[in-house]
Amino acid sequence: MTRLVEVPTQFDDRTFDQFAASYAAAAMDGARLLFDAHATEWASPYGLVGLLAAGQAAGGGEKPLLTVPTNADVAGYWARAGFFREAAELFEVHGKVPRVRPAEESDVLLPVTPVRAAEDVHEVVSRIQQRASAILAAKVGLDPRATMGFAMALSEACQNIVEHAGTGGWVAVQSYRWRRRLARRVVVIAVADAGVGFQHSLEPSQARRFGGRWGDAAALEAALIQGVSRFRDPGRGQGLAGIRRYLTRWNGKIAIRSGTARIAIVPSWDDDVPMQEDLAPFPGAQVLLIVPEQDSAEP
Amino acid sequence: MITHIDLQAVLRTSLAAPYADLVTRPTGRAVRASIEEALDADAAVALLDFTGVGLIDFSCADEIVAKLSREVRVLLVRGLTEGHREALEPVLEAAGLAVLCAQADGTLDAVGRQASAESLLEELLLRRVATRTAAGAVALTPA
Repeated sequence: MTRLVEVPTQFDDRTFDQFAASYAAAAMDGARLLFDAHATEWASPYGLVGLLAAGQAAGGGEKPLLTVPTNADVAGYWARAGFFREAAELFEVHGKVPRVRPAEESDVLLPVTPVRAAEDVHEVVSRIQQRASAILAAKVGLDPRATMGFAMALSEACQNIVEHAGTGGWVAVQSYRWRRRLARRVVVIAVADAGVGFQHSLEPSQARRFGGRWGDAAALEAALIQGVSRFRDPGRGQGLAGIRRYLTRWNGKIAIRSGTARIAIVPSWDDDVPMQEDLAPFPGAQVLLIVPEQDSAEP
Repeated sequence: MITHIDLQAVLRTSLAAPYADLVTRPTGRAVRASIEEALDADAAVALLDFTGVGLIDFSCADEIVAKLSREVRVLLVRGLTEGHREALEPVLEAAGLAVLCAQADGTLDAVGRQASAESLLEELLLRRVATRTAAGAVALTPA
């Protein structure tokens, strides 16, 4: 028996919970899953890496199925963003996959890239510095100092997978004009895995401290707001703290979804909520970083 | 006596692949282990030369600079870019630590917790590794 998981028509962080709910309902009895993206009209980097994480989580036995978007432009973009190269490992892909080489358009600063080990983080940081610095300064209007910090934030976000997930994950970086919410260009880092998630990672060191409050939301709060780590080494927890500082300085946003909760540091230009609980369960962690084009008066 | 460490060279020899950036905890641990091997057991003052190093992230700043600054009495750095400093400052500040950055003219300025930096400067003056300049700054004594 095959169960259907609907991929939203507009697939980004805002519609991810709809996707997670569909995934959670379909994955309950261990049946083979069909991820139906045929009607998808747009997917953000967050949507793309999140879809791969779902494929990773669903891949215990027979590979899950994936239908390719029927809109050729959409499928073409997914191909340029490097999605299908990674999806081929995880899904039995159905539909016409365009033959294009990834990252040939300038908006894809880093195509969907697997992160499994420290060497992959080196590779990602090296590629983003070669490719993105000029674009971030010229197109997104980032101060050169913000560009340096961007690579540091990217490195730390990827390391969360290597250090905590217990499995591999993916990262993608893209810049685009965000008409809907900001009417400015933004650069977006999306990182996703289907690993153990924040609650499980922090449980041995933090659960007692939180007592009855312990859960996905408390774990996210501990990691992002309090800067705690599962390691007892006093220097740990610097990564997320550094990302927070960077985004605060450049008026950016961070959101992390793990398990049944989602936490966000919400800048003035966004109307997101700081914490959501009791969401549909989804494995691992999904991280979204957004840096907006800078006004000449900022920061 | 100051032990000089060329970080770019250590990075080249500590890892299997030739990376230019100090990123990730495992890289930081490997680089620190190489530095510890190069340091004499009684090395009191060490200088990390960042010249030629690309990026350093917060994890490597902690693994290399913060941890080494606990192991040697005074840790000096040189060749810092603004990006290096952006990673080092908050990591050292959070740990209540400091290192001293040697400028091109030999004068030293603090990176990290100011109070910790003051005691490092005093230590260098006591060891006659540094002297006060006429302008009131502290500078390394020419070798």
